[in-house]
Amino acid sequence: MAEFTAAVYQNEFLPDGGTDVNAIVTVTCAGAGTAGQSGGGAAGEIIIVDTSGSMGPQTMAAAKQAAQAALAEILDGTWFAVIAGSDRAMLAYPQVSSGPGLVAMDARTREEARAAIGRFVGSGGTAIGTWLDLAGTLFASVPGVTQKHAILLTDGENREQPGALDAAIRRATGMFQCDCRGAGTDWQVEEVRRISQALLGTVDIIPEPSQMQAQFEEMMRSSMARGVSDAQLRVWTPQGAQVLFVRQVAPTVEDLTDRRVVVNPLTGAYPTGAWADESRDYHVAVRVAAKAIGQEQLAARVQVALGDNVAAQALVKATWSNNSELTTRIDQQVAHYTGQTELASMIQEGLAAKAAGDAATATTKLGRAVQLAAETGNDEATSKLRKVVDIDDEKEGTVRLKAAVQKADEMALDTASTKTTRIKK
Amino acid sequence: MTQTPAPTPGPTPGPGAQTCPACASAMPAGTLFCENCGASLGTPAPVDPSARPVSLQGAMPADGPSPIDEAAPISAATRPVPASVPGSVAATVPGPVPCRSCGASVGPDGYCEQCGTKAPSERDHFREAPADWVAGVCDRGIRHTRNEDAMALLASPVAGERALLLVLDGVSNTDDSHIASLAGARAARDVLRTPMPRGLGTPVARLAAVTKVFSDAVVAANQAVVASTPEGSVNPPSATFVCVVVEGGTLSFANVGDSRAYWLPDGAPGVQLSVDDSVAQQMIASGIPRAQAETSPQAHAITKWLGRDAGDITPRVGELEVVGPGWVLVCSDGLWNYASEPEALQEQIRLSGARDPATLALALTDFANAQGGIDNITTTLARVVAPQEETHG
Repeated sequence: MAEFTAAVYQNEFLPDGGTDVNAIVTVTCAGAGTAGQSGGGAAGEIIIVDTSGSMGPQTMAAAKQAAQAALAEILDGTWFAVIAGSDRAMLAYPQVSSGPGLVAMDARTREEARAAIGRFVGSGGTAIGTWLDLAGTLFASVPGVTQKHAILLTDGENREQPGALDAAIRRATGMFQCDCRGAGTDWQVEEVRRISQALLGTVDIIPEPSQMQAQFEEMMRSSMARGVSDAQLRVWTPQGAQVLFVRQVAPTVEDLTDRRVVVNPLTGAYPTGAWADESRDYHVAVRVAAKAIGQEQLAARVQVALGDNVAAQALVKATWSNNSELTTRIDQQVAHYTGQTELASMIQEGLAAKAAGDAATATTKLGRAVQLAAETGNDEATSKLRKVVDIDDEKEGTVRLKAAVQKADEMALDTASTKTTRIKK
Repeated sequence: MTQTPAPTPGPTPGPGAQTCPACASAMPAGTLFCENCGASLGTPAPVDPSARPVSLQGAMPADGPSPIDEAAPISAATRPVPASVPGSVAATVPGPVPCRSCGASVGPDGYCEQCGTKAPSERDHFREAPADWVAGVCDRGIRHTRNEDAMALLASPVAGERALLLVLDGVSNTDDSHIASLAGARAARDVLRTPMPRGLGTPVARLAAVTKVFSDAVVAANQAVVASTPEGSVNPPSATFVCVVVEGGTLSFANVGDSRAYWLPDGAPGVQLSVDDSVAQQMIASGIPRAQAETSPQAHAITKWLGRDAGDITPRVGELEVVGPGWVLVCSDGLWNYASEPEALQEQIRLSGARDPATLALALTDFANAQGGIDNITTTLARVVAPQEETHG
């Protein structure tokens, strides 16, 4: 049985008249078990592979191999399907046209699915929205499947009518989780990230076909290790208080603020998806009415809920003090993650400005990113930034845009922008 | 917590309607919450030392390894609230009690489910009433984050027979002084359980015998305070001491530091029994007016105290034979800061309209909180109706 714990890091002391309370809540899950085995319902996996005409022979061969390798990681008993995606979605396996669209994994179905993947041929365009819709239909066709996860590979830009993809993302949101990978450099990071963020998954670039298999295996293994099918982060705030934001800040930055679902007038629930044995950090900011010096009150109860059961709770407090030594301190964790969140947006905004030809803005934003990466000890970000800018002064954030940049390096910087590091010693 | 409840008589048992302290609506007897405004009508939970301790720290892991992986050694996790104060009215939240701020229910984590206000722990606010003529309130006040005052009371059931009022004010900014003061108060009370010695007949001999008893009580309190000192403390807890023993019309009193004892007769001038061991008192002794001395920057520096770093702990001891009805008040500076002169206290008593000690103690505490509650407030009272002739019998 999975066990959750929650711990709070904050400076609870507010100055006279202070209203804003910031806290980092670390949620840790232990004993998660494996997907579909914890009695909470069965697990379902769908592998979605881009089979559009743009997939070159080498990429297609690698994609087939990678999808087959992912099949090998799916545990027996897991419900699964394979979708071949082009300008429409094809159910490659199981080959049914009605009834349940998922089958239970065993030696036979694994072999049949392998063979079906082996017959993929590249042709047609790219309509990712239709792929997501078919995945949703398939998951819904087997009612016992409660933990739903897909992996999606694409190599190109979506070619649907404007708005079609977003509509499909909305339909899929809350229904299944999806990890997304882009092969090569002809796909749009921003577009695919919209999918992965809404569907509580990851996004990354696979620049070389040779790296594909390892990435697919890794994604599927991670998914199979998630024995807790669905957990919510619940945030209670006192009457009259306002939740300023709720963000996951580790292992990646994901703003959850707008995903609040009302539990009761004082409590909102935020989706966190499935959990393995892992720990995630959340930054919760709450605005409360100021009280008199010396008063203490609860600013938030942050809970992990599995269904209606509260598995762990952490308390975020506010105490008003006239001791400026206490009130001026910023909690180290809060400061660290505030920096990491700004780092993510500086990278994304800097790259967007660069793509739009605004070199001045790009230089400023990426310079600030370099500075923040150094301050917060995010070495991965620093090394990825180095491939896009020449750094004159890390501390000051003085940089120059590199004259020639590999597209793949720029995309790798973009996809990794939301990855955070934890605080260093 | 520091929300001072409207000055309502605490326990008002008995049949008949009650009045909402917040909106003054009349409610039938037994109603727990006002049906008009939702405020709590319940009397505050009685002090029950056996109340089940409820951890205030929620699901936060108290000890043990940080739940964050080892790569993250982190700012310190928010310090868990100690679940209990050893050997004391524990820092507990008694069962389901209504929030003192909004009347909604208090969660098992010690905070209101509706407005988030922290429910006062019993250490932050407790009341004692050992007999219907003796009562006390010990309150955190508003500005301080914990209640470092302590009190201990004794009373015989027969009004006026024998009572003990004892207050220790734990010095702020010393380690665990809230634990030390309570331990000290209880240790001293145990010494003073038996009647005062009568001595060998002469007033001088009697005073000497009483002085010996008070000195023993102070030593016991001091030992308890020292014993409460955390190991390796560079800032050991310290406390004041003030005590009045009422035996018929005889008031025996002793003090160390600046907590005070007063005799406040009805309709006659009152008197401060104790003499502060403080810089302010030294200034008064040198001719500076009281009002000026007591508001000077050093006014609250005490010159004598109990604790590991204490010097001389000999109490000032005295006795007074009193006549007629009046109040014995033993209090900490959290009260007398706002009414130092006996006349000022008598005025507050008159304004409160209270006739029983429990109501009056609460009213005086509310008065101090309404004035700002800058320090912990302890108010203990005995109603003395001294017999006219018998005291020398």
